[in-house]
Amino acid sequence: MAAVRLDAMLREFGPGGTLTTPASSVGALLEELETRYPRLQYRLRDETGAVRKFVRVFVNGKAVEGASGLATPIGPTDRVDILHSIQGG
Amino acid sequence: MSEQGTVRVYVGTRKGGYVVTGDKGRKKWRVSGPSHEGRDVYHMSPDPRRPGTVFALVNSPWWGPMVVRSTDHGKTWREVAPPMMKKSKERPAPGPDGPAKNPIVNLWHLEPGPDSDPSTYFLGVDPASLYRTDDRGESWAPVTALNEHETRSAWNPGAGGLCLHTILIDPTNPRRMYVGISAAGTFRSDDGGDHWQAMNRGVKISFLPEKNPPVGQCVHDVAMDPATPSTLYRQDHDGIYVSRDSAESWKHVGGPLHSDFGFVVVAPPAMPGSAFFVPLEGATRTIGGHGLQVQRWDERTRRWSALVKGSPFPGDFGMHREGFATDPFDPAGLYLGTSTGQLFISPDAGRRWLQVPYQFPGIQSVSVAAGAGR
Repeated sequence: MAAVRLDAMLREFGPGGTLTTPASSVGALLEELETRYPRLQYRLRDETGAVRKFVRVFVNGKAVEGASGLATPIGPTDRVDILHSIQGG
Repeated sequence: MSEQGTVRVYVGTRKGGYVVTGDKGRKKWRVSGPSHEGRDVYHMSPDPRRPGTVFALVNSPWWGPMVVRSTDHGKTWREVAPPMMKKSKERPAPGPDGPAKNPIVNLWHLEPGPDSDPSTYFLGVDPASLYRTDDRGESWAPVTALNEHETRSAWNPGAGGLCLHTILIDPTNPRRMYVGISAAGTFRSDDGGDHWQAMNRGVKISFLPEKNPPVGQCVHDVAMDPATPSTLYRQDHDGIYVSRDSAESWKHVGGPLHSDFGFVVVAPPAMPGSAFFVPLEGATRTIGGHGLQVQRWDERTRRWSALVKGSPFPGDFGMHREGFATDPFDPAGLYLGTSTGQLFISPDAGRRWLQVPYQFPGIQSVSVAAGAGR
């Protein structure tokens, strides 16, 4: 199964560190995380399903962009990173 | 009037929420917090029907909006459902060009419902929409008749976004409600939210070619007279107005002031016929005269009076639309938070003022829980 690394900021809502997923796409992965950790719902994505502005998803180090990026496939040997951009003052 | 006791001032700031607790005389204050540290707390709303219950609206560019609730006067908090939470987990599928509808950007104002519905609350958000919960925030339903109002295409965002920021419920007729939306104007429902009509007759607009359209006004705040709910006091982008007929029409009363631009108005329960405003210079969004000043409108004499004598607090202060509050006591307390983090308090309806000795982050909202009543 693919490995998913979640940044420390997500611990407020449930998971942290590394976990594994049988999901076959980025969209399916986000659905799975929201089901496993209900407090994550609406924190990674808004109510329309779009990934929030400062949430970044990388598959094997490559950024997933926009609505079409949710269809990005995930294989059993892939690594997914979910990170947050930091900005502002 | 309420017996005086502990007064709690809930201060929402750009970097968290604070509770400022006052003694019986409202002269000594103790600051605790922040909760939700580092996050933008637009509004903290104590529920006078349930002493100790407080809601906070926490906005975050990283996590999106959250509604949190405390039942111990703000010591501890628990997240409740955000308004976009549906009972169904289904989401609209993102289209090829992205999401089809606008998601909620910020939560603006939470108002406890009428005394007859103690588990009901109303929530105003950006983009301008009203939500209702009947289970203390565990689930929400959009108020569709307003959110899909026939005039919606004429609503436009102000500098703070297209926000629904004011919610008023007539205490003598709980099915009558008012909301304020920037920039759409004031709307009224007489049937508990099933139907809404725009209530902006007489309120001018300077920023559109048509000066008196039915909607599009940039209302900043509205307060209801405590003894005569058909009298409403209104601070617009384009001036200060009073309605004496339940918002059927509005009369411009701010003309005698040097400037009647501003963001805030309160009407203390102990002072029927009085409304307090803080006019700002339109260009700078700061109080004119380089110091704290508050103006009182007297509905009986129909005259203005400046309350702050001399210049005890020199400086250039601005404020956001939730930044002014009052309490149920006699004499009335006034609580004014500034966008640069000062909290000014008057325990006697504006005659004397003190500054709480704490430098807050920029203040978004000030609310008061004290004794009984709103």
